[in-house]
Amino acid sequence: MSTVTAGESARLSGWRTYLRNLWRWREFCWFLALSNLKARNASASLGLTWWVLNPLIMAAVYFLVFGLIFDGRRGDGDFIAWLVSGVFVFNYTATAMTSGANSILANGKLLVNIRFPRMVLPISAVIETGIGFLFSVAIYYFIAWPADGVGPGWYLIWLVPALAAHTVFNLGLAALTARLAIPFRDINNLLPHITRLWLYLSPIIWPLSLLADRGGWLEEAAVYNPMFGLLTLYRTALMGRPLDGEAALIALAWTVLLAAWGIISFVRQEGNMVRFL
Amino acid sequence: MSGPAVEVSGVGVRYRPFVERAPTLRRVIARRGLRRTEEVTALRDVSFTVRRGETMGLIGDNGAGKSTLLRVIARTMRPDAGRVTVRGETSTLLQLGAGFNLELSGRRNVFLSGLAHGLRYVEIRELFDEIVEFSGIGRAIDRPLKSYSSGMLSRLAFSISRALRPDILLLDEVLAVGDAGFKEKSLGAMRELLARGGTVIVASHSLAMMADLCDRAVWLAGGEMRERGEAATVVEKYQAAVAARR
Repeated sequence: MSTVTAGESARLSGWRTYLRNLWRWREFCWFLALSNLKARNASASLGLTWWVLNPLIMAAVYFLVFGLIFDGRRGDGDFIAWLVSGVFVFNYTATAMTSGANSILANGKLLVNIRFPRMVLPISAVIETGIGFLFSVAIYYFIAWPADGVGPGWYLIWLVPALAAHTVFNLGLAALTARLAIPFRDINNLLPHITRLWLYLSPIIWPLSLLADRGGWLEEAAVYNPMFGLLTLYRTALMGRPLDGEAALIALAWTVLLAAWGIISFVRQEGNMVRFL
Repeated sequence: MSGPAVEVSGVGVRYRPFVERAPTLRRVIARRGLRRTEEVTALRDVSFTVRRGETMGLIGDNGAGKSTLLRVIARTMRPDAGRVTVRGETSTLLQLGAGFNLELSGRRNVFLSGLAHGLRYVEIRELFDEIVEFSGIGRAIDRPLKSYSSGMLSRLAFSISRALRPDILLLDEVLAVGDAGFKEKSLGAMRELLARGGTVIVASHSLAMMADLCDRAVWLAGGEMRERGEAATVVEKYQAAVAARR
């Protein structure tokens, strides 16, 4: 028996039931993610190649502007490995935010017709994006190894915690953008600007030595950017850079905070979502 | 399980079209501090019960609240007032081509739909042949859905719903699309469902079919319940009211 009553919270079920249902719908998460990948592959002539091409072109553009024109290669060395790893890692978050925002709107008919825990939609969007990211990690080595001589080493073990934290972080963000995009469609117009600003504020196109040169509050504040710690962790895993424990812990705190905030605010709105479609 | 299959008591739904439909940032900022936007009442104080083995019809003009009511019963939407209790698994055909991805094959869509209903992958594999067989789609099941006609889409959707063996089937104007042969087949499937104690709630504008198919009916007008009772009687009253308006 299932009862739905008008009330304060717009959740469609209690939290315990919700978690049980989420587990029951796990196969759906994967199948939807793989189906979307397949559909994307079928609809463009280059198909999934775009998943690799997109961040590659982005990295090439940044290399041209910041590597060659501004001569950013003087920094900490290994500029290409630094840039490509940064762009790929950041792209995972940026894409998760965009596809999270679209996940509810694109599946309107499913929401109207079928009762299921709505979180499976942002989860599936993050799975889909994450599969693409794993491919780009492989591509990274194809570029960084010949260009800067940066190959895999024992420190690659750090990729596991980096990937885990990053994925949970992205899930929180995807849930949050999905939640916001339902009443405020403006989010889709705002997101590219937010992500671009965030990219410039993160150590991707500029080296860490830039912060040390500037010093002062800028250096103190930079570490509180959640992307900062995630990128540092990835650079440890992919480039063998020293581990920055403080930055990693701050990123972990952000991950927990964003995941909790994103998921709770999303689930509390589930019963109202169909109204906006 | 005891008690009626579906209990709807005092259900009300309001839409605030300006703030809720497309509340762009500008509108929200512009409206803040001004008087509240007018509310549109989609449903007001609707109450009825549907027993097991019964077919309930929902009739009324366009915009009377039939679809909103079905969404509330499907519990994909929470009402603003009142309560809905549903005993059993529901399966819903509210909008044509429920959540289908047109780029993908019919086969993949059958699995997507089944998984969305909470079935396991292996369970759907067992039901698959039966679904394709009933739909009469044949080898087109491996073609992308965008190559299907609307009749084929609704046949596939109905075949999936039927295979899920729901206790309660919710239909919104879907039987009108398929051809005569398939309509006969679907009616047969519905009788099967009723015979094993299932329940059907159907919203439709084909009044002759409603009077014939349903045991009881609810007539909605402007979100309120105008009449409820024996289907033939309610349909008759509705027809009289429509005729009087002309």
